Amino acid sequence: MTTTLLREHAENQFAEELAELAKIDTHQRPPNWKLSPWVVATYILGGKLDNGFEITPKYIGSRRLMEVAIATLATDRALLLLGVPGTAKTWISEHLAAAISGDSTLLIQGTAGTAEEAIRYGWNYARLLAEGPSERALVPSPVMIAMRAGKIARVEELTRIPADVQDTLITILSEKTLPIPELDSEVQAVKGFSVIATANNRDKGVNELSSALRRRFNTVVLPLPATLEQEVDIVRRRVESLGKALELPAEPPALEEIRRIVIIFRELRAGSTSDGKTRLKSPSGTLSTAEAISVVNNGLALAAHFGNGRLNANDVAAGLVGAIIKDPVQDKIVWQEYLETVTKERKDWNDLYRACKEMME
Amino acid sequence: MTFTILGIRHHGPGSARSLCAELEKLRPDCILVEGPPDADALIPLAAEQELIPPVALLLYVPDNPQQAVYYPFAEFSPEWQAIRYALKNGIPVRFMDLPQCNQLVVMDEQVLPEDAAGQAAPGETHPPDPFAMISEAAGYSDGERWWEHFIEQRRESGDVFAGIIELMTALRTGSDENPAPENQRDLLREASMRTIIRAAQAEGFQNIAVVCGAWHAPALMDLKKLIKNDAKILKGLPKTALAATWVPWTFDRLARRSGYGAGIESPGWYEHLWLVQTNLVETWMVKVAQLMRAEDLGISPAHAIEATRLAETLAALRGQPLPGLPELDEAVQAIFCFGDESPMRLIREKLIIGQRMGKTPVETPVVPLQRDLAAAQKRTRLEPSASPEELDLDLRKPLLLERSQLLHRLNLLGIPWGKLREARGAMGTFHELWQLEWKPEFVVNIIEASLWGNTVLSAATNKVNSEAALARELPALTRIVEAALLADLADTIPDLMARVQQVAAISADISHLMGAMPPLANVLRYGNVRQTDTSMLRQVVDELITRICIGLSSACSALDDDAAQAMFAYINAVQDAIGMLQDNLQVAAWARALEQLASQDGCHGLIRGRACRLLFERDDADELTATRMSQALSPGTPTGQSAAWVQGFLHGSGQALIHHPRLWQIVDQWVLALPEAMFSASLPLLRRTFSSFTAPERRQIGEMARSGGRGVSVGSEVMIDSLRSEKALALVKLILAS
Repeated sequence: MTTTLLREHAENQFAEELAELAKIDTHQRPPNWKLSPWVVATYILGGKLDNGFEITPKYIGSRRLMEVAIATLATDRALLLLGVPGTAKTWISEHLAAAISGDSTLLIQGTAGTAEEAIRYGWNYARLLAEGPSERALVPSPVMIAMRAGKIARVEELTRIPADVQDTLITILSEKTLPIPELDSEVQAVKGFSVIATANNRDKGVNELSSALRRRFNTVVLPLPATLEQEVDIVRRRVESLGKALELPAEPPALEEIRRIVIIFRELRAGSTSDGKTRLKSPSGTLSTAEAISVVNNGLALAAHFGNGRLNANDVAAGLVGAIIKDPVQDKIVWQEYLETVTKERKDWNDLYRACKEMME
Repeated sequence: MTFTILGIRHHGPGSARSLCAELEKLRPDCILVEGPPDADALIPLAAEQELIPPVALLLYVPDNPQQAVYYPFAEFSPEWQAIRYALKNGIPVRFMDLPQCNQLVVMDEQVLPEDAAGQAAPGETHPPDPFAMISEAAGYSDGERWWEHFIEQRRESGDVFAGIIELMTALRTGSDENPAPENQRDLLREASMRTIIRAAQAEGFQNIAVVCGAWHAPALMDLKKLIKNDAKILKGLPKTALAATWVPWTFDRLARRSGYGAGIESPGWYEHLWLVQTNLVETWMVKVAQLMRAEDLGISPAHAIEATRLAETLAALRGQPLPGLPELDEAVQAIFCFGDESPMRLIREKLIIGQRMGKTPVETPVVPLQRDLAAAQKRTRLEPSASPEELDLDLRKPLLLERSQLLHRLNLLGIPWGKLREARGAMGTFHELWQLEWKPEFVVNIIEASLWGNTVLSAATNKVNSEAALARELPALTRIVEAALLADLADTIPDLMARVQQVAAISADISHLMGAMPPLANVLRYGNVRQTDTSMLRQVVDELITRICIGLSSACSALDDDAAQAMFAYINAVQDAIGMLQDNLQVAAWARALEQLASQDGCHGLIRGRACRLLFERDDADELTATRMSQALSPGTPTGQSAAWVQGFLHGSGQALIHHPRLWQIVDQWVLALPEAMFSASLPLLRRTFSSFTAPERRQIGEMARSGGRGVSVGSEVMIDSLRSEKALALVKLILAS
């Protein structure tokens, strides 16, 4: 069956994998879990089942981190996934919900405009006026639905939600109940209910979690890719697929050029050169893998439409400077120091050094 | 006449617990513990209350203390428990091994490293911890965890030691294609152990307990078979004289990261395992919570409850009956630290490794550092005396220089025998003035310092290296560099330079970088005399200058008067340093940075004036300087800023103004070009600067102004005492004639 949807929910897209895993699952399942924690770990991290069925890895990285995340949900605690943009937070939260509850759609998208009703419940005003407060006039939120069904509710971008609205979650997470004073009743969470929230830990001061709320979550910080090779690989794959989608008439970029960008990003991020000999200052921006991808893409577009169709240092320089210098004063110093102390010294980087110097002047 | 072999895991608390139980059951009449027989005489000291572990047995060659071996013991070391048990019950206890007086010579071809801390006790480098190998094979993170799961929890302790022997026998046999390696030294050691057990049997002990590393256990089973062979291989081994003592040890040293071969990764965690019998996880979480509270991080008991639950669930998910250190760490990070990794370092330092330091009683024999110090005192003919005395050292004389270095090194080690007085006259003379006073309690300082090394030199070197590794701020680091140079610790310089480089790279405070420049430039200039590696330093200084030039302009914006004064001094210092280095590229970069300053809005007048002046001296750019000057002193500028500008431009240049015609001209032209009203308005600020010149200078400047800036002879303005000058003239004649 082909679908016209742009993107399927995880539980539909990987329905076959989930079914196969359920078949072989002999471990004990926590109440209302579709799979046992052991099998959820396999679903996320991938592997080959005894019957030869191949499970694709959903997350490439530390196994231990995923185990902490799954164990958290198994202790009925809420899980907070932190990380800079582009570290697969949302992706993991979707797959965890799909594997544990078989439903990844109980989702609240956190924004500055998210109101209490979105987390607790709202009213169907027509019915409310006609019939007065009643169960039928109540519009449940995804969290309320999840509590009743013993499923996982997801909150995206928790720190963008205003602080007073965030705190609605406190009672839900500690007492596992949602009072409805208007009806003089409450919804008590069924076993299996939990919340996975994601937040960006670089957006300091957006709406920092109150310590009371923070205490209700177990926090897992998702790191940036661990090795150069891994990151180059991610950038390459992503650039290739995006390049196809945008139908750019440029050659696919040379691996060397991608490598160079990833090295610059990694070195600035880490605050030291890859050989570990020189310390560097780090710029204020996040320099995530996603930004490296956009630098390469931007360079490709430049090369295709204004250059000779091949990605070279000049095409990259503009994007690089834009990605790195987010704060015009501090980051400029950082970048100049990097150019003078690192780029200049690397003989085969001369083209890049000159291109970047031109950009700065 | 029986003997029981109790194979243990070095520094294993679980092993120690099994051993204690087994000893209670056995009630032996003699205990033999794996360790150097050379140190048998020191065993009784272990009964002293003041001997508090962690301590180490130190055996060293008296003539060459750097050749030394340490046998560390913690409270939870099985060997320590065996010794304490024996002493408490009045049972004879002896060490059993190949004596170190032989081992040190046998080992001779492998020259021991100089760094005392980096030395492995040769008795324990081979073989690798067999339990670590087994637990790794079984998928455990730590041998102690494996021990707990497989041995402790069986609760049939009678079989534990028999099982260990069986296991080790299998391990030592290895597979047929790949037999376990046996090296010559291990063979000698085991022969020696057997010989000592036989000797104890011959003395008539009926029930001997033999406590040794599990690896050796199988080799000690059969005493009869190898009698002849043992006698043969042990005969005529070379020997050296040895001295032995107890020294205080630290958990940090015990940890593997200090390079100690048989070390353990987590002494603090092991101590926890030893001291806490029940509710291991809960107690640990409470300890972490208390530590974090002490650091002002708000951690509630609820955190500890949740962390315990998570650690236990994690262990279950991983198929382990109890959480191990990795599970505890992950739970702590997810719940106590909100996923943040940095507090984990604190927990690692203070809890997992721990900061315990041992103590030794006063009766303990002296440490090698003390001997080395005595030798150094004799060599430099500097005897300790309890009454204070003054010492004037002329550093050009080798003996006196050596004295100065010794005193500087001792100060670095926290043994303040001499206090350096401010040298009379200017800094940088060849003289140092010391106040000497020896205090009896320095003995304690020496023993403490002996942790760092066995000679004054190596101890000071190690300590400087360790302090440098801890220093986070550049000024602190440059102080260490200076101290290291004064104490002539040449070996530390490369590492110090690397550290300076690191810290400089992440330092956001440009004034720190600028403050670090002059001492480093000095070293670079005079470094050859001390034979330090200047190429490395050169690179550091180059990088410093690059960073200073890039960051200077932003560091100089929005300074108040005090900050500007400080920056003014820094700029002068860097100017001097760059002038001294005479590198054209650097001079050019510096000039660009100064140019930016000279025309930077919002920069303090003092700084702009100085920058302008320094550029003027370099570029001969009269016109540009004149323009800048009139801009800076134009009527719109607030008076305070103009005054500061003039001050910056002319500071301390009374003489320069007199002898530098172009400088004179520029100032003169500016004054002449001023309209009448403006001139009066500028007078106060000019006066402010000129009043800082000396009276003769001012008079001379006045004379020059009167004569239109020309033809003022210098001689006529100076009061000459003819009698005194004649004396000098005679000497000048002599010099010129020769």
